[in-house]
Amino acid sequence: MELSDSELVLKCQAGEIDAFQELVLRYQQKIFIVIVGLLRNREDAMEVAQEAFFRAYRKIKSFQGGSSFYTWLYRIAVNLAIDSQRKQKRTPLDFRDTMDGLFEEQNEVAKDPFSDVQDRELREKLVSAINDLTPEHKAVIILRTIEGLSYRDIGEILGCSEGTVMSRLHYARKKLQQKLSGFL
Amino acid sequence: MRNCEDIRESLGVWLDGELSLADAEVIRLHLENCAACDEQRRQWVKLDVSLKSLTESNVRQVDFEPFWRGVQERIAKQRAWHTELLEWFHSAFAGPGLAWAVPAVILIIIGVLSFDSFWKLRGQRNNFSAVESIDAHGRNVALLREDETKTTVIWLYQNQEGEDESSGENVETSPAF
Amino acid sequence: MNLPGRMLKRALLFSSLICFVAAFSHGAESDSQTVRVRIGTILASNQSDEIDPRLNAMKNQLKVMKYRSYRLLKEETKNVSWQGNAAFDIPGGRSLVVTPQEFRNKQLALKVRLQHGDKPVVDTIVRLNNGGNFLLGGPQHEGGVLVLSISAAAQ
Repeated sequence: MELSDSELVLKCQAGEIDAFQELVLRYQQKIFIVIVGLLRNREDAMEVAQEAFFRAYRKIKSFQGGSSFYTWLYRIAVNLAIDSQRKQKRTPLDFRDTMDGLFEEQNEVAKDPFSDVQDRELREKLVSAINDLTPEHKAVIILRTIEGLSYRDIGEILGCSEGTVMSRLHYARKKLQQKLSGFL
Repeated sequence: MRNCEDIRESLGVWLDGELSLADAEVIRLHLENCAACDEQRRQWVKLDVSLKSLTESNVRQVDFEPFWRGVQERIAKQRAWHTELLEWFHSAFAGPGLAWAVPAVILIIIGVLSFDSFWKLRGQRNNFSAVESIDAHGRNVALLREDETKTTVIWLYQNQEGEDESSGENVETSPAF
Repeated sequence: MNLPGRMLKRALLFSSLICFVAAFSHGAESDSQTVRVRIGTILASNQSDEIDPRLNAMKNQLKVMKYRSYRLLKEETKNVSWQGNAAFDIPGGRSLVVTPQEFRNKQLALKVRLQHGDKPVVDTIVRLNNGGNFLLGGPQHEGGVLVLSISAAAQ
């Protein structure tokens, strides 16, 4: 029977590294998706994601269960990614290259929402528009649209109120819509 | 919440399922009857879908096999002493507010105890001073100390040659110490 | 780390910081550049029973002289550098020159000269607490005597 996050955390706190491996396998993709959405480079995102789990491992004994494990983990990951993004000196075009790289291995044309020329242009515009958002606005839009997290969870992860999450999401969506007018 | 402006302000929250049932129903009914607002809804849904498609399906094709190995290596690796020290400082300054209470109290107590003016009470401060040398140039001089405040008083007696501007008035110049 | 462990860490950090600041501030005390010298000129007499309310803080100091009346004629403050001269006009053609000498063990040494015209009346060196004062009295003036409150504080 699959153990819950809380049970795995308790085992980690008792020193069972296998339990931590289970948590890593459970969340590695989700964490990577969020980080690659914030950063502009897949390799950097891998590094930051691994570092996020490493820091979670180091701090696991101080995790007191006040929030859910995954929001706690997301918080570590998002903060690391935002810090890393601020240090990055790459140009916005690199993000597009990175996102193109993510699409390289796509084989199923029929499922590609960007197979249409116009949609390909939408993708490029979308990438550029996302890059123009601040790290905080980018974080809320990614956590909500890609991860589907609630406003409460997003607020916990980013350390802000639900109202702030709401207004940042509204702002980000409006900004993206303005930049993508004609393509949506 | 009935006009289009209000509806569009709440559209994102409605799409995210964060509105109350009653408010959600108001928006749903409005969208059924307002093409403009419904167009906004359509665009925002497409935006969300595009964003999701931009990353999710393709991230699945990323090889995560080495991911755990990377985390394991970090765990196994010895961290540099200065990183440990930085983390130690960081952990010392993070955490719930209550943990700040004791050092804050210590700080306040030390500040109060070392603050000289804490001991200064009017008329009762130790105002001790010492006369290291005195030359009254031939005049009589008395050195006194007021008991309560320990204030030093240097008293110059009138020069017999009359150095002052007195007009002959019988002035009581000697204090009754 | 649990709460008591964090508190102990912070207590140690803050104590170290305070010791450092205290050590530094002690050193900084002796590095003061100027001295603020304040002279209060008081007329003491038995012509009335009134004590100037502005002298309330000094009542205990003044009572040793047992005059019945004390009136603050003027109060003057000057900033002077170490070894510099601060000159004050004193009623009756007098002047007072205060020269801060040194600052040691939280005490200032002041060289003080009272003159009447060009003639020295008294020269003295007094060591007093930082911010403290002493009294110099006796010169006659307007039916009473002048009492000078001389205080100094290192800046």
